[in-house]
Amino acid sequence: MSMLYAPRTVVQAIEDAAHSTSTGFRFVEEQQDAEPFFTHGGIERASARFGGALQAMGLKKGDRVALILPENADFVFAFLGALRAGIIPVPIYPPTGLGKLAGYLDNTLHVVAKSGAKVCLTSTEIKRVLGTVPARAPELERVIAVETIRGSREPLKPEKVGLDDVAFLQFTSGSTSRPKGVTLTHANLAANVRAIMQLGLGIRDSVDSGVSWLPLYHDMGLIGFVIAPLYHVNTITFLPPLLFLKRPVRWLEAVTRYRGSISFGPNFAYALCVKRIKESEMKNLDLSSWRVAGCGAEPIRAENLRAFADRFAPVGFSEKAFISCYGMAESTLAISFSKLGQGVITDVVDGPTLWGEGQAQPVPEGASSAGAAERAAPIVQCGSPFEDHDVQAFALDDGESERPLGERQVGELRLRGPSVMPGYWADPELTREAFAGGWLKTGDLGYLADGNVHVCGRSKELIIVNGRNYYPQDLEWEAGKVEGVRKGNIIAFGTMKPHNDRERVIIAFETSTADEAAQVALKGEVRRVVQQALGLTVDDVVPLAVGVLPKTSSGKLQRARTRELYEVGELTLRTSSREVDPLGAAKELAKSQIGYVRHALLGGRSDE
Amino acid sequence: MTWTEETLRTELVQLFRQHAQEGVSVDGKSHLVADLGIDSLGVMEVVADIEDRFQLIIPDEALRDVDTIDDVALAIETRLRGDGRLQG
Repeated sequence: MSMLYAPRTVVQAIEDAAHSTSTGFRFVEEQQDAEPFFTHGGIERASARFGGALQAMGLKKGDRVALILPENADFVFAFLGALRAGIIPVPIYPPTGLGKLAGYLDNTLHVVAKSGAKVCLTSTEIKRVLGTVPARAPELERVIAVETIRGSREPLKPEKVGLDDVAFLQFTSGSTSRPKGVTLTHANLAANVRAIMQLGLGIRDSVDSGVSWLPLYHDMGLIGFVIAPLYHVNTITFLPPLLFLKRPVRWLEAVTRYRGSISFGPNFAYALCVKRIKESEMKNLDLSSWRVAGCGAEPIRAENLRAFADRFAPVGFSEKAFISCYGMAESTLAISFSKLGQGVITDVVDGPTLWGEGQAQPVPEGASSAGAAERAAPIVQCGSPFEDHDVQAFALDDGESERPLGERQVGELRLRGPSVMPGYWADPELTREAFAGGWLKTGDLGYLADGNVHVCGRSKELIIVNGRNYYPQDLEWEAGKVEGVRKGNIIAFGTMKPHNDRERVIIAFETSTADEAAQVALKGEVRRVVQQALGLTVDDVVPLAVGVLPKTSSGKLQRARTRELYEVGELTLRTSSREVDPLGAAKELAKSQIGYVRHALLGGRSDE
Repeated sequence: MTWTEETLRTELVQLFRQHAQEGVSVDGKSHLVADLGIDSLGVMEVVADIEDRFQLIIPDEALRDVDTIDDVALAIETRLRGDGRLQG
């Protein structure tokens, strides 16, 4: 199989597809009458126009251009045009509203500065709100409104682009102050596209057609539905992401209308359809063409997908169409997919053994006693790693990835293969930290069973809401700005309990204010600053008396412990950190030499 | 249907009451996130309801300056006035 695989650059793929006059990209707009369609030949011409315009601005091969383009069509053609000119695009998400502009601008500035972009291409309207960003990004020379170059007649000057050239930078993770730019080469893209399309989806060239509302500044939307389909000449129908969030039925109507056979979404998207699509909207749907319904980008909850299948089976949706996908930007997009035609498969294991001992012990079938059911944890199976790629679980402290863990042993999942990025842009230190003995550290906890990857948690403490990553440190920093909140005594975390279709965001903090009305005001203020800075809605804010947050003996806040206490409802019952949990505190003390000394000297008082 | 600033606000408060967390008092000054506990997905649901109720489309850009119910009312007034559907 490998012998027949001749990797191509994205540039080559665009040119190869250009002969097709029947397939291409369709851009649905909010008003239903406007749905411009570009054949693959049209895509070639439109991208050449944008590529030529970028060259005319003085951009050369290897230069970076930041793209903040809210219209799907502008984004696609500017992105592809840059690739054809050898210019490295840096997609940045547009501001999405609700008074969170300050945080948005801060994030944008850091990404623009880190990438060293010379030009920022955006809309007239966003150009106006960018404020001081251009002045504060040292290498940024110009901000160009896309409206001024849509009709450009500058010809695209041919540029030699090879497989080892950097294709684009994907800034999707990292804390605000230190964004991580995943660097992807054309070879990375070619390898991952082959894995996704040929090995994962069994794609039918020119026949399969996709529907996507996914944001194009996110890997699943951009690589899965813009780049990969160019290699296989598939027709794709794009919807604006906010239109889907406003009216989820428009996604399924597009599948119906254009006989879509492939569409993907994060877990929350399927849950949103179940919640929001009305009975009266069902009669126009026919989902029988939907061959592969992919789910990924955030933890998959089998019950959400089952609810979707139950709800939409009467209009032709098949539960077997679901595939569970595991991936991350650092491995281009995909790491493994479950097998086609099987639907969501869960491995039911004993929960306490899983979390307590790091062993995924299958619960015997027919174990129907109340106790066993209570302990059962269903873990979604994400299939085996793609050909030429390898995934293994390792102990977190196995710094050189020397000893892969055995079957069903939980560890950090690590990956190697041609889809793995060369590193983070202009950040050798973060790049070094991302690898262990040549393996990419995913930061996810999981295990292998029968060669299949199972993801059961994260070793990083990221909070993922609606497919976007947030660092708890960023939330804590913002909350610490509120007067009355004790700086350094704040813990933010995400929780999936009680069962919900998404991660709930909690911020607990200490305050010396005991007055109830004042505490209510503090809670509102914390929500407000976090919302404004990060655009994230906090589900619960928990004010606590001084000394209540659990700390290690050396005075470090314990995030995982706080989460546990919150989940069992004990966090708010505590009056001091030692009262409820003397045993835990003693254990912590015993673990830490520093703590022991400090305990001896200070009589158990933390000095922080 | 035509609206006045007053009927529009009454209608809007009514509509937001259905989306707010229970036991929360709702008025024009209510902050959608901090007071009503509506998250970013919830906001899009409210927007869809508003569009159906007032027969208009609220473009994404218009949401960028919105914090409170009064801000939402202003965004709707601008559009209704443009269509000649706002009296007074």
